[in-house]
Amino acid sequence: MRAVGIILAGGNNYRMRELSNKRAIAAMPVAGSYRAIDFALSNMTNSSVQKVAVLTQYNARSLNEHLSSSKWWDFGRKQGGLFVFTPTVTHDNSFWYRGTADAIGQNLDFLKKCHEPYVIIASGDGVYKMDYNKVLEYHIEKKADITVVCKDVEPGEDVTRFGVVKMNEDCRIEDFEEKPMISTSHTISTGIYVIRRRQLIELIERCVQEERHDFVKDILIRYKNLKRIYGYKITDYWSSISTVESYYKTNMDFLKKEVRDYFFRQYPDVYSKVDDLPPAKYNPGSEVKNSLVSSGCIVNGYVENSILFKKVFVGDNCVIKNSIILNDVYLGDNTHIENCIVESRDTIRANSYHIGEDGIKIVIEKNERYVL
Amino acid sequence: MESFNPDYVLILSGDHIYKMDYEVMLDFHKATNADVSIAVMPVPMEEASRFGIVIADDQNTITEFQEKPEHPKSNLASMGIYIFSWKVLKEALITMSDVNGCDFGKHIIPYCHENGRKMVAYEYNGYWKDVGTLGSYWEANMELIDIIPEFNLYEEFWKIYTKTDIIPPQYVSGEAKIFRSLIGDGSEIYGEVENSVIGAGVTIGRGAVVRNSIIMKETKIDEGAVIDKAIIAENVEIGRGAILGIGEEVPNKVKPNIYSFGLVTVGENSYIPANVKIGKNTAISGITTPEDYPDGVLESGETLIKAGEIS
Repeated sequence: MRAVGIILAGGNNYRMRELSNKRAIAAMPVAGSYRAIDFALSNMTNSSVQKVAVLTQYNARSLNEHLSSSKWWDFGRKQGGLFVFTPTVTHDNSFWYRGTADAIGQNLDFLKKCHEPYVIIASGDGVYKMDYNKVLEYHIEKKADITVVCKDVEPGEDVTRFGVVKMNEDCRIEDFEEKPMISTSHTISTGIYVIRRRQLIELIERCVQEERHDFVKDILIRYKNLKRIYGYKITDYWSSISTVESYYKTNMDFLKKEVRDYFFRQYPDVYSKVDDLPPAKYNPGSEVKNSLVSSGCIVNGYVENSILFKKVFVGDNCVIKNSIILNDVYLGDNTHIENCIVESRDTIRANSYHIGEDGIKIVIEKNERYVL
Repeated sequence: MESFNPDYVLILSGDHIYKMDYEVMLDFHKATNADVSIAVMPVPMEEASRFGIVIADDQNTITEFQEKPEHPKSNLASMGIYIFSWKVLKEALITMSDVNGCDFGKHIIPYCHENGRKMVAYEYNGYWKDVGTLGSYWEANMELIDIIPEFNLYEEFWKIYTKTDIIPPQYVSGEAKIFRSLIGDGSEIYGEVENSVIGAGVTIGRGAVVRNSIIMKETKIDEGAVIDKAIIAENVEIGRGAILGIGEEVPNKVKPNIYSFGLVTVGENSYIPANVKIGKNTAISGITTPEDYPDGVLESGETLIKAGEIS
């Protein structure tokens, strides 16, 4: 592969509500057994990218723990491999990453030392499968300066959290609006870009000089009339989990057979860090309908249209409906959970009642699990 | 071994289910100044004649061995776990190197005993199971299903590690029914599962019923198949509507000692065609076709071995 990968995983936003209190969005658990960043990392390794830098800063501990060994994604290698860069205070810099361009700017040395002619930039919150080689081929064929991977959303779908693009017949991007309130276009940017490495260095160096920090605003939008910026449209599954609602919906999508088959059964695989957990255990009294259950779970109650992440304990007579129970949660007997996301490692006392009346309720109780 | 030049050698079997801190046993070996330590476990006296029995004095020094004795003098069964001081083991191995099929239990241990080596019994109390027969293998799996199994895989303490290559969670559909079972990652359950241990990546189709069985990795049970008391190995396909484990118990005609306990045993990469019926104490391996089943039936006690692998 003639490209080096950069995964922007620094982000956090208020739309994730309490879920991002303790972790970067890229470290959010997805589909029972994965973390959001697994999708971008697996795409990198499946596209034969041999060197990937993950740029992260906010609540990086959870992400760092997940990335502690690079072997899970096959990056444990002598040349290249997986690099995790958090901001560091140096003689010339005392700032955090002030934006996506600044994050790359603070790691320009890494890019300068690379020899690969191209760079693939992806974000850590996308759930998708993609062969980046195809984007790169397109990029070369179009003689583009920057290629932006785009997707059409349903007319009427809320685009206020996306960059919205307008392309001409040749797919050159003529207009780019960042997070518009309303837009006439329904083609959004997925935050995946291909760019020539020297071109990127040049653009970023200019940003650094001018104290500009944002890749979208200060490069894509600012340069769109000067540089050849092209859109590469995808039609396959792609979802960004960066709001509570989209996080919930993306997880629930995995209850559909075609989505599971696409991600779990079709080549190539999505990789993740593997824990040594026993199989899920269904005790008498358990009843599970249309749900995903991960390893290490023990189920004693009723579970419907829900996703149990790893090591969830469901007590006797519990009722779990339309909910996401994150890793290592203990649900005491007779608990009722409906339309909720229960934060990981939590302990819910017996006889608790949680229901999301209008929208998804996030349950965080922080009880002690073992009381002596 | 020479290149490691160890002080002690720990000899274990790969077919035992137990949790043991070998460090404690080694400390015991050192403290008793033993040449050989043998881990032993108390078993009920009436079952003692099924085991290799160790007779020890009150200092834990072994005085005598009995191999599957009719009249056992003790109820301490050897677990097949040994610590040797390397010099003692090396001397025994070199002396015995000409013995055909040289075996720890049959040759090395008796040799050490006859030559006056200090042999001690290290008593272990806890869950221990030899899964060297289909029956005990099946039983050990069934015991794991208990609400709080004696051998608990879900404790944080003393984790059991393994290699995993199937990552996704399992899916349980709206029409599935699961009762008292363990199910592995990536499986898709549309049918009924009862008192069973299901491996990773297994598909159990609509209307299929699996009871009292062990189903291994990536096996597919097609719609409407009914499986009772079977061990089905990896990457097998059981055709639609096939029924396994029916009829009377008749001893297996070829290997009655192996294919017993009323089990249906299906080898890896096998295929069983739709709608056939299979009896108890049977063994099937390979790609079988409807012609292999006279009147669509494989009677109890029969063995059916064919070549080939499913793609």
